[in-house]
Amino acid sequence: MAVMLMQTELVWLLGEVARGDEAAFERLYAATRAKLYGVLLRILSRPALAEEVMQETYLKVWTMADQFDPAIASPITWMVAMARNRAIDIVRKRGDVSIEDEPEALEVASEAPPPLARREMTEELKRLLSCLGKLDPEKQRIVLLAYYSGWSRDQLAQKLDIPVNTIKTWLRRSLLEIRECMGN
Amino acid sequence: MYDDDRDALAAEYVLGTLSADEREQADALLVIDPGFAEIVRVWERRLGELNVMVEAVEPPPDVWDKIRTDIGRTPRSDIKLESAFPAIGEAETGTASTPGISPETPPELTAERVPDLLAEPAHDLDLSGPPRDLDDASLVAALALSLLPPEPPPEPAKASPSEPAPSLAPPKIERSADIIYLAREARRWRGFTVAMSAIAALLALYVGVEQFAPGLMPPGRQSPTDVALQTKPPGSRLVAVLQQEPTAPAFLLTLDPQSRNITVRRVTSSPDAGRSYELWLIDKSSTPHSLGLVGTDEFITRPIPANFDVDVMRGASYAVSLEPAGGSPNGAPTGPILFTGKMVESVPGSPS
Repeated sequence: MAVMLMQTELVWLLGEVARGDEAAFERLYAATRAKLYGVLLRILSRPALAEEVMQETYLKVWTMADQFDPAIASPITWMVAMARNRAIDIVRKRGDVSIEDEPEALEVASEAPPPLARREMTEELKRLLSCLGKLDPEKQRIVLLAYYSGWSRDQLAQKLDIPVNTIKTWLRRSLLEIRECMGN
Repeated sequence: MYDDDRDALAAEYVLGTLSADEREQADALLVIDPGFAEIVRVWERRLGELNVMVEAVEPPPDVWDKIRTDIGRTPRSDIKLESAFPAIGEAETGTASTPGISPETPPELTAERVPDLLAEPAHDLDLSGPPRDLDDASLVAALALSLLPPEPPPEPAKASPSEPAPSLAPPKIERSADIIYLAREARRWRGFTVAMSAIAALLALYVGVEQFAPGLMPPGRQSPTDVALQTKPPGSRLVAVLQQEPTAPAFLLTLDPQSRNITVRRVTSSPDAGRSYELWLIDKSSTPHSLGLVGTDEFITRPIPANFDVDVMRGASYAVSLEPAGGSPNGAPTGPILFTGKMVESVPGSPS
């Protein structure tokens, strides 16, 4: 319930931001910054870089708020998608770093995601999780690690010590299974 | 099969597991293929909820100060063409006109923003990609332009309001000219391509901001267009989309002049048993040259033959024909030409 209220409020705030309301933008920032920064930090590992992308992302939110469509996405998934997309572009173009270069990143990424109280889950998340739950455990793991850590197939292969072709096949199969399970 | 391949590509794009090259190709697809953009949007919705499970971390307080300064310099209404969910469907149906350049926005505000972006220092953090904003703006511009009616080439509708300013707009106008020209080329070419019923060469053209290196362009002095046209970095890659119908790309070619590699991604179904897809370079001055069989795998990279000149490849057309298994028996296309396209400049190659 709390989540639903939150979403409604964020949608309203984005609408105000679309009209150029800076106070609304500040409230939107306050409500979403920790989530976006958490997502970025996990993928980029380096705080300075994550801050950089925070700036870029919120500037985009500011200029594109009127393109947000609540029928397509929730405010937070819209904003996180923007931030992740940019972060992954950066890490891909930087070239995949080997494990030795970033021991911290590996440590962080190997942790299991924090447990989430059921009441915090949206209906959409419950549906996604139930579909993920139908995958084999090792496939669940690669999909989640890819999402949280922003790893490429090569990195997944290297870090999990699984041949890259296997990773490729698993990813494809898993994602298509998720599609079948979730529908549109 | 076609749908599964495309869906898997969209899903991996959203999940983030694609390589830099594959992401570049998916970015090109996003521009030219509204269907693909829609699938990406669906995947963003499907997987987006996973963020709920990522631990929130408070950013340092000065991040907000920087953002507030940024937005002070960026009036809300000035940049509309970019999107994490590119407004592709909207552009198509014409509803994109709503967020058009707002009349009360003076052109100099837009102009001011460009040097701003360009002046961003090259960080030692290896922020090697072009600033995403400008990149996306160009990408979506290319899309909008590719949707212009084919003939006669109309004046781009969005050209006039932004013409006076050295803003983001001039490169778009340039590109529209390119695209119209290339589309005409494609139609001419169709004239002597017997088996083709509908060729449309829509082009993804996006010029990375690295081409507008800050040193080359004193803010406000030189239009980004000029710089883009004058300084083609040697490493800049070329992309071609080979297709039969405007919304159904079948192959994406990426040519990297520096490594002399050509990458071919198949986004159509694999050929029937007993047939092969063969890729041809079609240069006006001579007979078609085979670039080998393609499409057996979804994604292949191979070296350009040593006797091929990159400049010729830059200007050439490309076609995929359907041949007997193993390829054309006589060194020239024997089966129907299924897909065609031309190379266009892509973003400069990444330093990797």
